[in-house]
Amino acid sequence: MILLLEAAAADAPDRTAVVTPERAPTYGALLDDARRIAASLQRRGITRFAVAEPDAAWVMGLLAGAALAGAEPCQFQPDTPAAELATQAAALGHTVVVTRRQDLHDLVRDGGHDSGQLEALRPEDLADDAAATAASAAAAQSDSPGETGAQPLMIRTTGTTGLPKAARHDWRVLTQTVAGIRPAPTQRWLLAYGLHQFAGIQILLHVVASQATLVAPFPRQPKDGLEAMIRDGVTCVSATPTYWRFLLTEARSRRAELPPLEQITLGGEASPADLLDDLRTTFPGARISQVYASTELGSITSVRDGRPGIAVADLFSEENPTANVRVTDGELWVRPAAGMLGYAGQPNEATAPGEWRPTGDLVEIVDGRVLFRGRTSEVINVGGVKVHPLPVEERIAALDSVAAARVFGRPSKLTGFIVAAEIVPAPDAGADHEQIRTDVNGAVSDLPRAWQPRHLSFVEAIETKGGKTVRGTAR
Amino acid sequence: MPADQDKVRALIGDFLVRANKGADGWTDQSPLWGDGLGLDSLEAAELSAMLEDEFGTDPFSAGDEFPETVSDILAFYAAVKTE
Repeated sequence: MILLLEAAAADAPDRTAVVTPERAPTYGALLDDARRIAASLQRRGITRFAVAEPDAAWVMGLLAGAALAGAEPCQFQPDTPAAELATQAAALGHTVVVTRRQDLHDLVRDGGHDSGQLEALRPEDLADDAAATAASAAAAQSDSPGETGAQPLMIRTTGTTGLPKAARHDWRVLTQTVAGIRPAPTQRWLLAYGLHQFAGIQILLHVVASQATLVAPFPRQPKDGLEAMIRDGVTCVSATPTYWRFLLTEARSRRAELPPLEQITLGGEASPADLLDDLRTTFPGARISQVYASTELGSITSVRDGRPGIAVADLFSEENPTANVRVTDGELWVRPAAGMLGYAGQPNEATAPGEWRPTGDLVEIVDGRVLFRGRTSEVINVGGVKVHPLPVEERIAALDSVAAARVFGRPSKLTGFIVAAEIVPAPDAGADHEQIRTDVNGAVSDLPRAWQPRHLSFVEAIETKGGKTVRGTAR
Repeated sequence: MPADQDKVRALIGDFLVRANKGADGWTDQSPLWGDGLGLDSLEAAELSAMLEDEFGTDPFSAGDEFPETVSDILAFYAAVKTE
């Protein structure tokens, strides 16, 4: 990370690195921040710390500074309630939290938390540390590269299927995935993920490696992303399919004129065919990629043909021995090249190079494509029939009268579970609930009866976590 | 709030229309299963969910035995009413 930043600052010191609602530092300024933060961390003896900060420019400085100092940062969702965040940070053994949130500073000062010893610092405390400035200047004069030893990074999982865990990574491993990227100075990437998410870190690495500009709104709901796209001249967007669906709905309801994107990336969830078609029609000049990655396994593969799923020809086989994806018993298995070192508090995972790992993603091979059917934890057991929610959800979400849908299991004394669906009506379709019910019945009529939703509810928004639709939660 | 018997009947009627079993041809004495309304487990689960959403509880989930007729459902809510 720090080497990428140093390279960008050397090649293009005056180029804007990141645009946030508060500031837009150049690569040169960001490197200065990182060096001062690194020197301050070392002077204070801080080797690991929690971060609760919404401004991506500050976060980038903190991450790069930590990498330079060999300290381990761990970001938390910036709007986590103060007491909860303090408790979670303490559970991971943190004694320092870097944040500008006054409520967190007040909580720590007053001792009103169940978190043991916790010190709160502001990022400015580190960046403007006078005693560290001299050391920073000396480092800037050094010819030696900024990184020498381990560069740890802790990333908490989104926990869409359970409680969040924290995965330990090393920047030196993560940056392997961007090793071949060439500078693309005109690209302006929207940050639709948080930098506390693995996908956000992937975008960050890509942007810095390509010496491009990150556009990072906060809040970053789809409507905020849409505004940033239009206002800040975004050319590339990476987001979850759920985020894309809401962004397009928002744009249409506002009659917004969308910029002509050159790159669209989808990840975190399966990309339905109708959404891919919609994106292709809306942004005819854009390359469309789907990435397969996870916080634990790292970046695994990407699909660039614009079709749903993965081509069977790209699976591991005798003819394709270097592929790192295969299907075993209906589940996707991968062999990670840039995965985590292990979970927090646990020893490094003894993953031998090339060792295959199950992903928990259920797949089915249809017409030469490996199509995602949901998570093993999302399967709905309806009277002994295993129902995968994704195919049901995709049929419903593809309807003109529906803006978004979430399919999940609802407990039933008669059948264990029934398939239930939450539906956000399309704002401009003009369909009433009864018409949508009729549409849904028609859309799922080819599915087995146990797969057909037995309960529909109409909502204003679908529950998401980390930009992904939350499924498998029976309510 | 206790469940109004006519509201229960209206909801059952709505369910039967949605389930393509017709709006007419049933009475309080109609059996839910077999030659009566002919519900299968999925349809009964759907009716159970509709009743629970509307009235907060339902006779399929609350009791030890499933109701056998429309009257049993009405009796369940009548009992709720008198508790």
